[in-house]
Amino acid sequence: MINFYSLKNKSYLVSLTLIILTIIIIFFKGLNLGIDFKGGLNFEVKSNLTTDQLNEYFDFIDSDREVLIKREVGSDVFSIRIESGDNNPVFIEEIKNIIDQNPDIEILLSEYIEPTFSEELIKNSIYALASSLLVIAIYVWIRFDWQFAASGIFALLHDVFVAIGFMSLFNIEFNLTMIAALLLIAGYSINDTIVLFDRLRSLTSNEENKDNFETNVNNSIKLNLRRTILTSFTTILALLCLVFLAPVNLTEMPIVFIFGVLIGTFSSLFLVLGIVGDLNYEAVLKARDS
Amino acid sequence: MIIFKQWRLWVSLLLLIGSYIFIKPNFESQTSDSKINFGLDIQGGFSYLLELNEEEYLNNLLVKTSQYIENTYSISSDIDNGEILISKNQNLDALTNIVIQNLGLEINEKSDKENSYIFSKQSFNKSLSDMTLNAVEIVRSRVDFLGNKELSIQKVGLNKILLEIPGDLDNNVKEVISKTAKLTLHLEKSNIVGSKTFINEETGEQVRVQEIPNITGDFIQDASLQYNQNEPVVAFSFNKEGSDLFAKMTSENVGSRFAIVLDGSLITAPVIRESITGGSGQISGGFTNETANNLAIILKSGSLPTQIKIIQEKQIGPTLGQEGVEKGVIASIIALIAITLFMIIYYKISGFFTVITIISCLSLLFAMMSLLNTTLTLPGVIGIVLTIGMCVDANVLIFERIRENFKHNIEDPKNHGFNSAYVTILDSNLTTLFAAIFLFAFGFGPIRGFSISLIIGIISSLIVTYIILKLFINITSIKYLGLQR
Repeated sequence: MINFYSLKNKSYLVSLTLIILTIIIIFFKGLNLGIDFKGGLNFEVKSNLTTDQLNEYFDFIDSDREVLIKREVGSDVFSIRIESGDNNPVFIEEIKNIIDQNPDIEILLSEYIEPTFSEELIKNSIYALASSLLVIAIYVWIRFDWQFAASGIFALLHDVFVAIGFMSLFNIEFNLTMIAALLLIAGYSINDTIVLFDRLRSLTSNEENKDNFETNVNNSIKLNLRRTILTSFTTILALLCLVFLAPVNLTEMPIVFIFGVLIGTFSSLFLVLGIVGDLNYEAVLKARDS
Repeated sequence: MIIFKQWRLWVSLLLLIGSYIFIKPNFESQTSDSKINFGLDIQGGFSYLLELNEEEYLNNLLVKTSQYIENTYSISSDIDNGEILISKNQNLDALTNIVIQNLGLEINEKSDKENSYIFSKQSFNKSLSDMTLNAVEIVRSRVDFLGNKELSIQKVGLNKILLEIPGDLDNNVKEVISKTAKLTLHLEKSNIVGSKTFINEETGEQVRVQEIPNITGDFIQDASLQYNQNEPVVAFSFNKEGSDLFAKMTSENVGSRFAIVLDGSLITAPVIRESITGGSGQISGGFTNETANNLAIILKSGSLPTQIKIIQEKQIGPTLGQEGVEKGVIASIIALIAITLFMIIYYKISGFFTVITIISCLSLLFAMMSLLNTTLTLPGVIGIVLTIGMCVDANVLIFERIRENFKHNIEDPKNHGFNSAYVTILDSNLTTLFAAIFLFAFGFGPIRGFSISLIIGIISSLIVTYIILKLFINITSIKYLGLQR
């Protein structure tokens, strides 16, 4: 049986490395912001042309608007991004009319967002994310000792942050749907963590074996290991089905979430209980006795 | 039989019958208020997010308030940079604190010479929000007149309107919704003071008229497309008040011209040949059938309080949505079958109970979604799949606890295991539930669709696990649960 608790320092190192890597990646690569957060026009089109042919075709658009054409993985669907400019409502109609005359291109979706509104959406999403995380923090704080709350919140911020790094690394578009994915990762992470906390709390309150903190930590993990693996496995199973079968513009969300499940499993098995221990929870337990 | 003594049996039956009753309307053709709606990303369609101009509204409101103070209390005021300035060299006794408060104003700065007032944030926001509600009705009637029946339109935030139209779109919608449609009639005026020149952008015709309109479009009661010598014209009629004004204006000014101005540009400037007492008139001037019809629609719906800007537009073709649904449903079914098989192989009989629990969870979820008239979107489908994941997780937690208790010869392993696992499940699900509620409250668009199915899903999962799964565990001897390895 693995002694999880004794591995905590190595785990901290792994986690620290991940955090530093994420900072570096985000610093150098930045986030691939979708039009939700950047404003602009977006077309999803179905076409049997190649990316080069499409690039050539879209040359008719003003040179002062940047055009980005990307093929969605494994399909004949392309996403065409056009930078925002003056009078988008009229511009989008013109583009639609021009494309409609081309028999090789079928418009599946067309949209635009004014940059002023996308700024509002960024603010809005930050509120949504921050308030949800705050609620999680408060709930854990009420239900457990502060060492648990601090550790649980660190783990979920860690998981969400590293997931953002993952998105940056693979150039996955950051949009409103991804905000939902990130919150889901936070939910999954805290879910896993709470199950362990509940165990550790009940083990440390048991008269016979409460003294050995390390054994209690290992037992909490051991007793839940099967559940952790089963749940991660079934969740990933369901998500894989979504990755392969979801419509082209929604495949990225389950991919990010699968990564989140993996990183969440890592943090709950190797990080959270170690942190609780290092926050001197043992001393708290002893003090409670005397 | 022991099974009939279980209160859970009766509650379970109630849940299943209830679910059936609430899901049923979804499969019936007639429209009902308790049905699941499909989002535009599923059925295809158009969505527009319109924003009313806050600054323009503030200015209008300042002018209106300043005029009101002048007319009611004979106190003159100036407007400057969002403030109302009232000079102190007049009798201000009538302007009590209560009057100021009722006008929604609050004092901004006091000096020896003048007081400056601004709208209190609360009263301005309330007024802005009321104005948007009013605009919602105007936009609704404009789109209705074009013949779109299934549209959904709602106020978003303080000054935004979300308009969603499923299916194919009449190309005129964008044209019709974004026009402010301020129609004004001005009499010709030759001297410069208080006059303004309006130009017809197409014909170049221009006319100098009195700046303050003699009659506004607010008095228009009805408008329609008609033909005058085979040419499309917009015929309109005024209400009683408007008719009187129009009759007075025309009878007193026979021989001079008046300008018909729409949103600041001249449409036409006919000469008044005789007094018009019937209260109706015609606007002609180079219309096509379509433009005349659009103008008629706009005129009879009334003008919007400010300019409108389309800040987000989305058009989703039906193929994308259909493909999405088909794929999403197939994905969900395959995921469900995979999880089911896995659970049955791993947990035997108990795994079979999980399958029943999942199916009940899904029926309860769809029943609640129908009851609440929820809109199901693709991110919502992902939320549902994850709900199933949480439901399975709850089952696994319970089974593992029971198995562990059994191994350690703890008394009453089933109940004890279920109860201690359920506390954990409550803790972990409630955190996610609270987070999802806040996500719903603050989020926009896809975030909302996702969080609503997560919220309903978690609640369903908690209920069916407590009632239905526990029922099966209770009535099955631990020997047969398949957990004693």
